Amino acid sequence: MLSRISIAALLFSTVPLMSHAAESYTIDPSHTYPHFSVSHLGFSTMQGRFEKSSGKVTLDRAAKKGTVEISIEATSISTGWAKRDEHLRGPDFFNAAEFPTISYKSSAVKFQGNNPSSVEGTLTLLGVSKPVTLSIDAFKCGANPMNQKELCGAAASAQIKRSDFGMTYALPGVGDEIKLVFEVEAYKD
Amino acid sequence: MQELLNHPAIQSGLAPFIAALLVAELLKRLRLSGLSIIAGFAATVFLASNFSVDPLTATRKIVWLGIAASMVGVLLAGFNLSGFSGSVWRPVLSILSGAAAIWVGLPILQHQALNVALQWGVGCALFVTWLVFWMDGLHDTSVRAGSAGMALGLGTGGAALLGGSGMLGQFGLAIGAAAGAYLMIQMLANRRLPCGRSYTLPLSLITGLVACVAVLTTKLPWYALIPIAMIPLAAKIPVSEKLVLWVQSLLLSVATLSCAASAVYLTWRVAGAPPF
Repeated sequence: MLSRISIAALLFSTVPLMSHAAESYTIDPSHTYPHFSVSHLGFSTMQGRFEKSSGKVTLDRAAKKGTVEISIEATSISTGWAKRDEHLRGPDFFNAAEFPTISYKSSAVKFQGNNPSSVEGTLTLLGVSKPVTLSIDAFKCGANPMNQKELCGAAASAQIKRSDFGMTYALPGVGDEIKLVFEVEAYKD
Repeated sequence: MQELLNHPAIQSGLAPFIAALLVAELLKRLRLSGLSIIAGFAATVFLASNFSVDPLTATRKIVWLGIAASMVGVLLAGFNLSGFSGSVWRPVLSILSGAAAIWVGLPILQHQALNVALQWGVGCALFVTWLVFWMDGLHDTSVRAGSAGMALGLGTGGAALLGGSGMLGQFGLAIGAAAGAYLMIQMLANRRLPCGRSYTLPLSLITGLVACVAVLTTKLPWYALIPIAMIPLAAKIPVSEKLVLWVQSLLLSVATLSCAASAVYLTWRVAGAPPF
């Protein structure tokens, strides 16, 4: 009898601990699109996005910790003109035949209050890995009203130089500064 | 000035042409005018790309193999090769170049299904082996080598450009411009320049690899390589040695450039106009 009570006590005592454990989320590819924008000859700013991405996010709000891992298919680039997309997939820009995946892996998630405010991590593009900090501009968690599943969404952005990753074709006509915007939704596992 | 140097026509047309012109003339006495090809190519790499090594992409491998090939050409010209027949080098260089094609294509092929990778790998190796073998046969005939080199550069460069890669296109066109400068000196002065493997080896290797990588990564159709492969053979058409050099060059260039134009046309039929 005593041992049953001790087991029950032990189980109950872990409940608060578990509620503080990291929560794991899987990115919803149908609502997650990494966008980019780049100057075209200084006349206009061209926008594009990647249609296929996947990844995992973990959040531990109590401990103010988290991890982010995103994988993007370079071949899924889309700018609204198929011919330009083919060029962007080619060896001049994303070289998707040699480097089919673009990835981002966090090293630290910074919090402001209960919500993450920035992510420090490494972006790997064209086989070159460089530190990139994503600033989180919007963040919300809650139940999706359509399916009642627990969902988190975020908008994160960063500025990179494509030449840092060896993407030097058509510089400086096609701008060096690239603005990245990650619109992400992830369901709790 | 910087704006001028950023223009693709300067980077892959004028700059390699002038660099090749200077090197062909300056190294004439050393019998190393063949280095005009790598000088022109290096000028374009310097202006339009870079000489980085890491990560060693297919395009960067082309740059470094081209430089290494020109050095091999110089060594073969400089060393006393007694004990070896000169003809021994022809199959050796061709087979090594075919192996180099597989090495260049490897980072692309490893993302393909095995049967596709094998098909492309073997095809590229055979194509490069063929080009190097037949161009090597022109290494002591400077006018024929000049005409073939110009057509190989313009053909692969034009086809790669239409296929969808500005960089590969510029690499090919740079070779065409450099070979054009080498040929022009002979036409205007009516005297032959030294040729050798420092000319034929980097030229055939770079253009062969550019064409292969363009097939693997752009819309350049594989069958456009057939007329490109015919260029060294077209440079062997019978033309009287008694004719003045500009007439010989003209006749040979008509034959070789016809092949180059066919490759460009076949690519244009598939890819249309480039997106830039």
